[in-house]
Amino acid sequence: MTEKKESKFNQSAEEIRIGVYVCHCGLNIAGSVNCEEVAKFAATLSHVVLAQDNRYTCSDQGQEGIKKDIKEHRLNRVVVAACSPRLHEPTFRKACEDAGLNKYLFEMANIREHCSWVHLYDRDSATEKAKDLVKMAVAKVALLQPATELEVPINRKALVIGGGVAGIQAALDLADTGYKVYLVEKEPSIGGMMARIDKTFPTMDCSICILAPKMSDAGHHLNIELMANSEVAEVKGYIGNFHVKVLRKPRYVTKDCSACGECAKVCPIVAPNEFDVGLATRHAIYSPFAQAVPATYIIDMNLCLNKEGVVVCDKCMKACDRQAIKYEMKPETAELEVGTVIVATGADVFDPSVLPNYGYGKLPNVITSLEFERLINAGGPSSGHLIRPSDMQIPKRVAFIQCVGSRSDRNGRLYCSNVCCMNTIKDSLLIKEHWPDTEIYVFYVDIRAYGKGFEDLYTRARKAGVIFIRGLPAEIKEDKKTRNLWLVGENTLQNELYKVNVDMAILSVGLEARKDSEVIQRLLTLSRNTDGFFLEAHPKLRPVDAATGGVFFAGCAESPKDIKDSVTQASAAAARAGILMAQGKVTVEAITPIIFAEKCKACGLCTKVCPYNALMLNKEQKRVTVIEAACGGCGTCAAECPFGALTQSHFTDEQIVAQIDAVTEQDADKKVVAFCCNWCSYAGADFAGVSRMQYPPNVRIIRTMCSGRVSPKFVERAFAKGAAAVMVTGCHLGDCHYINANYQTLKRVEKLWKKMEQNGLRKERLQLLWASAAEGEKFASKVREMKPIVECVTSEEIEKARKVFEKALTDG
Amino acid sequence: MPERIKHTPLDSKDVKHPKAEIHLIKDQCKGCGYCIEFCPKKVLEESEEINARGVRPPKVVNEDQCILCQFCTAVCPDFAIFVVEKKNEVECKT
Repeated sequence: MTEKKESKFNQSAEEIRIGVYVCHCGLNIAGSVNCEEVAKFAATLSHVVLAQDNRYTCSDQGQEGIKKDIKEHRLNRVVVAACSPRLHEPTFRKACEDAGLNKYLFEMANIREHCSWVHLYDRDSATEKAKDLVKMAVAKVALLQPATELEVPINRKALVIGGGVAGIQAALDLADTGYKVYLVEKEPSIGGMMARIDKTFPTMDCSICILAPKMSDAGHHLNIELMANSEVAEVKGYIGNFHVKVLRKPRYVTKDCSACGECAKVCPIVAPNEFDVGLATRHAIYSPFAQAVPATYIIDMNLCLNKEGVVVCDKCMKACDRQAIKYEMKPETAELEVGTVIVATGADVFDPSVLPNYGYGKLPNVITSLEFERLINAGGPSSGHLIRPSDMQIPKRVAFIQCVGSRSDRNGRLYCSNVCCMNTIKDSLLIKEHWPDTEIYVFYVDIRAYGKGFEDLYTRARKAGVIFIRGLPAEIKEDKKTRNLWLVGENTLQNELYKVNVDMAILSVGLEARKDSEVIQRLLTLSRNTDGFFLEAHPKLRPVDAATGGVFFAGCAESPKDIKDSVTQASAAAARAGILMAQGKVTVEAITPIIFAEKCKACGLCTKVCPYNALMLNKEQKRVTVIEAACGGCGTCAAECPFGALTQSHFTDEQIVAQIDAVTEQDADKKVVAFCCNWCSYAGADFAGVSRMQYPPNVRIIRTMCSGRVSPKFVERAFAKGAAAVMVTGCHLGDCHYINANYQTLKRVEKLWKKMEQNGLRKERLQLLWASAAEGEKFASKVREMKPIVECVTSEEIEKARKVFEKALTDG
Repeated sequence: MPERIKHTPLDSKDVKHPKAEIHLIKDQCKGCGYCIEFCPKKVLEESEEINARGVRPPKVVNEDQCILCQFCTAVCPDFAIFVVEKKNEVECKT
C-alpha cells in the first residue's frame, strides 16, 4: 500500500488545470469581501484556467456548474472559496467525484468564517485577506494528489462494557438486530445504578420492576454472552477488528447454582452489603440482590475463611444440594474478536464526606440520596420504611440538600449533575405518599425541571406541601441529645437567615466520572473532558461516537444523565455500531503517512510519537511500516521525522510549505501565519466567525488535522520568509482529538522558543494557544493580543529571523 | 463494588451467631500449634502453663469470635480439642 502511494506521489506529468469558485454566500461573504475582485485575482494565479464568482456555490446550480466545468474545461483541480471546509467540504468533494474527479483534488478557502464574518467593517482588508486565502488554497491544490481510501472489514460482533441500564439496552438492541454481543460487567450482577433506585422520575415507575425483565432478557438472549464479574483487560486492534482480552474473575460457584440461598444461611461471615450501600448485611457467599442476573451466588474471597487452597470452613459446600460450590476455581481470560465497542461504564456518586460542614459519615442522620433510595425501597434493608439510622424511628421532618458535589468550584464539581433536582422532587413525593404529615424542606440553588413531565412533578411536589428554600445550608449541626439536626443558612430569595430543625437530612449527591475511567480511556485510546467524562467525536452531530473509530458511548460514561437519556443514547449507540456492522466494511480517510523508505534510518522516533501504535519498526529490515486502518491521521509522525522520510498524505510538507510561501510572498512582515488543528482551534476560529467576533485581519490560517502535524520547519520557514509572527494552536492538553499528539506540539514549540531566545529573537513572535471548538473568543482575543506584537516588529528583527532560520528555506 | 460505607448496617443487631463452646483436653495436647495456626478467627493462643506432656497447650482467648467451623478439631493430631454449639443461647454480634 505504501509503495503504491509513493509511485502515485511522483506521477503528476499531466498539466495542472485549476478551477476557482468564489462564493458570495448571498451577502454573508459579498457583504464585506469584493468577490468579483477576488475571482479576478484568482484568474491571475498560475495553473488557474477558470475563476468565477457566484451567489451560492453550494446550491444545486453551483454544484452543477462545477461539474460541467470539470468536463468542459478539463479541470483537474478545484478550489472553492466559501465557508469552512468543516461545513461544505464533503458537499464539494462529492460534486467533484460525480464529475469523475478524485475527491482528494479539491481544496477549500475559508473566506466566510475566517474572513468576511470576522472583518465585517473593513472591506479592503477583508478582500486582501480573501485573496491571500485563495492564493494559499491554489498553491496547495496544485500539489494535491489523488488518493483512494482504504477499505477495512468489520467483524460483526460487538463488545458492550458495563451492564447498567445503558449497557443492557445497547446489548439487547444489537442482539435483536442479529449481532453477537459480549456484555462485560465488573460486578457480580448486571443492573447497575438503576437496580438500586426505588422509583424513577417523572412517572414514578418502580425502577427494578421495569429493569428486571430487561436484565433477564439480556441474561437469556441467544445472541448475548453475559460476562459478569469480569473486566476488560486488554484491547488491541482498530475499527472493525478489535482483539479483546476479558479477565473472568472466579465466582467459586458454578452455573449449577439454583440460587436457593441455603449456603448463605450457614455462612458464618457477615459483612455490609455494597448493593445496599452498607445499610444491610450479607454473607461471604451471597447474591447482591434478589433480581440479580446471573442469579448464581458468588463467594467474596476477601471475606471467606478458605484461603490459599486450605478449606477451613465448608459449611456452604455441605449446605449445597447441587454441589455447585468450587473453592478451587481460578480466574480465566477470554479472548474475543469484535468489530465495535460500546462503552457504558456509568458514573460514580460524589462522596460528601469531603465536606466537613455537612458532617456526612460523622452524623448518623445525614445520609446520601443513594442511601435514601435503599431505605425507601421495599426490597431494601428497612423494607421500605424510611427510618433514620440513629434510632430507627420514622422522621417527622426531613431536609433535602441539593447540589452536593455539583456546581461548585470549591466543594466538588463544576458541572450540573442533571438528575439530582428531579430525583429529590420524586423522593419528596414518595415520602409524602407514605407519610403525608412529614415536613419536607428542599434547600436548592436552582431547580432544573427541564424535561418532559418534569415541571408537572415539581408542581405536584409544591402542591403536596414540600417547602422549597433557595440557598444551601452553610452547616449542619447535631443536637447531641436528640440526634436531630440544625440546618443553618441564608434564604437568598428573602435575604434572611434560616435555622431549620429536622430529624434527618438527605444530601442530594452529584454524579462524577468513574474513578477507573482512566483504565478504559487507556485501553480504547479515548479522550475525556475536564470533568472526567468521555469526550464524544462531535457534541452535536456525532454525540455517541468516540473519536476512536468503532467505539461508541452510552449512558453516564459520557455525561451525567437520567435513565431515559441513558436508554435513548444506548439505542443510538447500538444503531451507530449496527450501521458499521451491517455495512461490514468501512473506508478510512486517506490522510495516513507516506514513507520514503530510502530516507528512513529506522530510528523509530515516529513509532514513539504515534498515539495509535500504527507505525511498526522492523529493525531487521531497517524500515517502518504503517497499519493504515489503525492510523488516526494526525500527522505527528511526519513532524517528528528528522530525515524527511515521512509525510502525511493530503497534508504533505510540500503542500503546507506552498501555503506558507503563498502567505509570505507579499507583506510578510505584517502578517501572522497561524496553524490550526481541524478539531479544536480551527473549529474555534470557525466559531469566532459564526459569532461575528471581530479581530484584526492580519492572520492567515493554515489547517492541519492536528497541531502535532506542525513540524518545527514550518514555523522556521515562515520566519525565514519574513513573517512577523507565527501562531501554533491546538486542542487543550489532555483533550487532543488524537489522544496525546498535542504534547508533541508543546515539546516542539518549547524547543523553538529556546532556539529563538538563544538567537536573540523575541519569543512573543511565536505564540502557542490551546483553544477548544467552543472557545472562539479565546482565539479572537489571541489574534487581537498579537496585533501590537506584529506592529512593533522592526525590519531588523525580521531580517534577523530570516538569517537565523535561513536553513529552513533549503531544507524545505 | 468498591463503595465507601459510612453507616452501620441497620440489621447488624439482628445477625445471630451460634455460640461456641470450646473444649480442650489439655494433657492430651502435644503442643504442635496447628489449631492456633489454622484458626481463621484467631480464637486460640498458646498458654503459659505446661501440661503433663511438658508442652504449652492452647488457651481460648476469643470464644465469641468462634464460628464453629471445627477446623481445629479436624487438624488436631491428638484429638485434644472439640467445639460444640451452646444450645438455646444466641448472642448479638456487631
